Amino acid sequence: MRGRVGVLVAVLLLTTACGKSSGKAAGSTKDSVTIGAALSLTGSLSREGGLTREGYDQCAEVVNAKGGVPVGSRKVKLEMRYQDDQSTPDVASRLVEQMNSAGIKLLLGPYGSASTEAAAAVVEKNGQVMADSAGADDKIFAKGYRTTFAVLSPASRYLSAIVQAVVELAQPKPARVAIVSADDGFSKTAAEGGRDEARRQGMDVVAVEYVPNGTTDVSSALTKIRPLRPDLVLGSVHLAEGVAIVKQSQELGVNPAGGFGETVAPATPDFVRTLGKGAEYVLGSAQWTPDVSGRDDWFGTASDYAAGFRGRFGRDAVYHNAEASAACLALVMAMDRADSVDPKKVRDALAGLDADTFFGPIRFDETGKNTAKPVYVIQIQDGKVVTVWPKGPGAQPLRWPTVPFDKR
Amino acid sequence: MILGRKVPVVPAGTGLVLALALAAPAVADDAALRTLAGVFMFAALASAWNIIGGFAGYASFGNVVFFGVGGYTVAVLMVHAGWAFWPALPVAVAAGAAYAALVGLPVLRLRGHYFAVATLGVAEGTREVVLNLSHLTGGGAGITMPVLGSRATTSYPGNTAFYYLFLAALVLAVAAASAVSRSRFGYGLRAIHDDEQGAAATGIDTTRVKLAAFALSGALTALVGALFAFQQVTIYPERLFSVEITVLMVAMAVIGGAGTVLGPVIGAAGLQLLAEYLRQRYLNLHLIVFGSLVVAVVVLMPEGVVSFATGAWRERRLGLLDTVRRYRV
Amino acid sequence: MERFAQSTVYGLLQGGLYGLVGVGFSLVWGVTNIVNLAHGALVVAGAYIAWELNATFGLDPLLGMVVAGLVLFGMGYAVQRGLINLVMNAPIFMTLLLTFGLELVVVNGLVSTLTGDYRSIPTGYASRGFAIGEVRVPYGRLVGFGLAVVLTVALAAFVGRTRTGRAIRATGMDRGAARLMGVPVAHVYAVTFGLAAALAGAAGAVIGTVTTFSPAAAGGFTLRSFVVAVLGGLGNMWGALAGGVLLGVVEAWGGQYLSGTLVNAIAFAVLVAVLVVRPSGLLGRPFYEARVEAG
Repeated sequence: MRGRVGVLVAVLLLTTACGKSSGKAAGSTKDSVTIGAALSLTGSLSREGGLTREGYDQCAEVVNAKGGVPVGSRKVKLEMRYQDDQSTPDVASRLVEQMNSAGIKLLLGPYGSASTEAAAAVVEKNGQVMADSAGADDKIFAKGYRTTFAVLSPASRYLSAIVQAVVELAQPKPARVAIVSADDGFSKTAAEGGRDEARRQGMDVVAVEYVPNGTTDVSSALTKIRPLRPDLVLGSVHLAEGVAIVKQSQELGVNPAGGFGETVAPATPDFVRTLGKGAEYVLGSAQWTPDVSGRDDWFGTASDYAAGFRGRFGRDAVYHNAEASAACLALVMAMDRADSVDPKKVRDALAGLDADTFFGPIRFDETGKNTAKPVYVIQIQDGKVVTVWPKGPGAQPLRWPTVPFDKR
Repeated sequence: MILGRKVPVVPAGTGLVLALALAAPAVADDAALRTLAGVFMFAALASAWNIIGGFAGYASFGNVVFFGVGGYTVAVLMVHAGWAFWPALPVAVAAGAAYAALVGLPVLRLRGHYFAVATLGVAEGTREVVLNLSHLTGGGAGITMPVLGSRATTSYPGNTAFYYLFLAALVLAVAAASAVSRSRFGYGLRAIHDDEQGAAATGIDTTRVKLAAFALSGALTALVGALFAFQQVTIYPERLFSVEITVLMVAMAVIGGAGTVLGPVIGAAGLQLLAEYLRQRYLNLHLIVFGSLVVAVVVLMPEGVVSFATGAWRERRLGLLDTVRRYRV
Repeated sequence: MERFAQSTVYGLLQGGLYGLVGVGFSLVWGVTNIVNLAHGALVVAGAYIAWELNATFGLDPLLGMVVAGLVLFGMGYAVQRGLINLVMNAPIFMTLLLTFGLELVVVNGLVSTLTGDYRSIPTGYASRGFAIGEVRVPYGRLVGFGLAVVLTVALAAFVGRTRTGRAIRATGMDRGAARLMGVPVAHVYAVTFGLAAALAGAAGAVIGTVTTFSPAAAGGFTLRSFVVAVLGGLGNMWGALAGGVLLGVVEAWGGQYLSGTLVNAIAFAVLVAVLVVRPSGLLGRPFYEARVEAG
């Protein structure tokens, strides 16, 4: 018994000691500033977390290669400090707290709306500042927080952008639309946005079916949709469900004339790789493509960014990388404008930011959302991700209607 | 050695630890308090599990279901009925006990692995039900308790307050375990663990005793779940009903020493702090290292780290392979 | 009517895959009394092996399945012989925790070495199919179902007719008596676990052709295996196949006529109901009637 109590005493003392000593770690030195990020390096979102980390690293590399951020009279380099939140929101909030204790006040967001929301609450309480790269759910910005700024377009636009693109570009316009949605908060918000836009545009939404988040089997939803003969099947989903929709549609003989349009999935390289020919004609929404117009002094244009990324990582940048780099860029621009790394001044500079960047325009409304940037719509053509909307330089014509699976 | 005879060491030691814990917020920063609050939370969960798993020997692999029931009860009451947190808390505790009694009636008739798998099924099934009742619980989108801003029904306590709340929950759980351990009820549980038929033969109403243990375990777990939901503000079914939490609480209780009163607390402190340390140290590989360590501890110390440590101290040697020889096939 | 027929057919085929995933799990639980929480991770490992072979050598996944099976047999044998055998007589939480630790290592090892991305093994034929009226029958899943049956037959023949198979059954019935008869128990346990791992790996390879997989999918396979094993009776191979098919069909009907998101809830409801009402299995009996513990 004695041994056990002794162990307990030792453990408690140890933790308290650890807690105190970590307070000394530097939030910034004269020549560098530590930027903290709690990311999903393990767990169900590890893939996306890894892509986000690449984007943050690319930003740090580019900025530091130019000597750092001009803050006042000196140049300050970026030093990234990552922690693994295991794709779990309560771990993310604990890590943000730890970073605060370590003096890290400037943060980059985790991956996903759930963790971002949890982190944002702690950031607000502590007076830190967070540039959100991957938490799009509008809910996060309905709480009156003043310290979180999202560079990406909000969730409600993800699916409605595809609807708008189809209405503008497709001949003949689809009349009947079916929506398949995952049941998590972000997907539901996007699905509702898409459904409302479709109705606004005069389309008949014949079904909205929900599937479990992360599932690879959407056959029950597709079997319900098939007899309704929709012209267009929309998916408000993530990668796993997105691939499943196309694959199982092929198995079950669901062949809408207008094909498929999905959030998130089609713009990632795994999509084309796993589906092969099945991926053709699928529309997708993306926060960024290499055809986006806009440039900034750090990354140049979108194609400059893409080239730089390919040079460093040996493969094409996807929008998860770009949105991460853009969040980091927003922090950098704010530090530059404010001539300071003090969180209050950086926060005010972010609130007043109105910049043209490789990612498109970045300008935050009073809730912290970037309402200046549109969601781009892409299409898979010949195995490549191609921008089709909004029309502009670099946008390709929409291929419509689609060819049924067995005729490809 | 004289000290051992004149001074009651265990109560004194526990008192010292408690005093340290009470004083910690004066010297520790927010992050350390949050980490310690997490330790207390898991220690309370492990102690609650111990009542059914350690004392009675019924290895529940679904105790997290009461964690989730507690959390969602307060959330739903606060969001849909406009209650404040404090009156909702005892309702959550009662809900945990009631659900345990309800589930326990059919499930406690099973033994060993069957019981473990059945409780796992109940936990996963309840999660799916909560996911599907989205009008009530928000489903996959989560549910947010009204504790911030103008429509708050309760004001949000800070980090320090939650530290004390979880500490209080831990003290309650350990006190309950201690009281059970010394009482006839506890002897009954241990009798059931050793030989259930024999226990029934001596006149113990095994069904009632098991149900009571399960209900107590469920009530304490629900209490912790309610506090957790309050702390997190927004909760999701995948987290509140996560099988990972069950496995962690079992691991903590077992590695610390199942069937003892302080074993789960020590196991929780050790494992939680180990996990934190590994997370800081091995950015990408910490779960691999953690899993390997769990495997190593299970193989080398199947009776728990604390028994191993005290045994090694007593015999002045590290008999790492002795237990292995005893348990291998 | 179209919906009913389609969902029933699809559910049957899906169920065959569930059976294949769960049969090894059931065998191990029935014979060695180990609940292997890492079973799903082994399925995913098999899928990755087949994927790598297909990507690097262009090996058709049905051949890759054989390789995956052999590799995983070796791994499973080693794990049982070297690790699990060491705690066979310890309290049950210990074996559960051991396999939990293994699961963490395997899943995160896959994430670290192969990245967590979603993959699928491309074959020309898997998503195509033929139609009977309005009902589509995809080739990939049909092949999967066929393989499930073939492998179950093979396993049943192995366990029923060969010497090793009889040794496995004997050890499962009464370890002490088997030992007295000269059965090398440690080796037999290892072979059993190896077989289960091999089947898991083969199942993974097959699943890799019809759907996407990633390390995150491991838990789902393990949970389905629980249901399959309990439905069919522990250690009963035909029961596992039948249990899988039943689960697949019930899930498909539930998904069609209730909500698509209730599919998982149905699986667990079935599990708990069967355990409470008839723990020896709905469709079969455990392959031995009486079981003597310890020895």
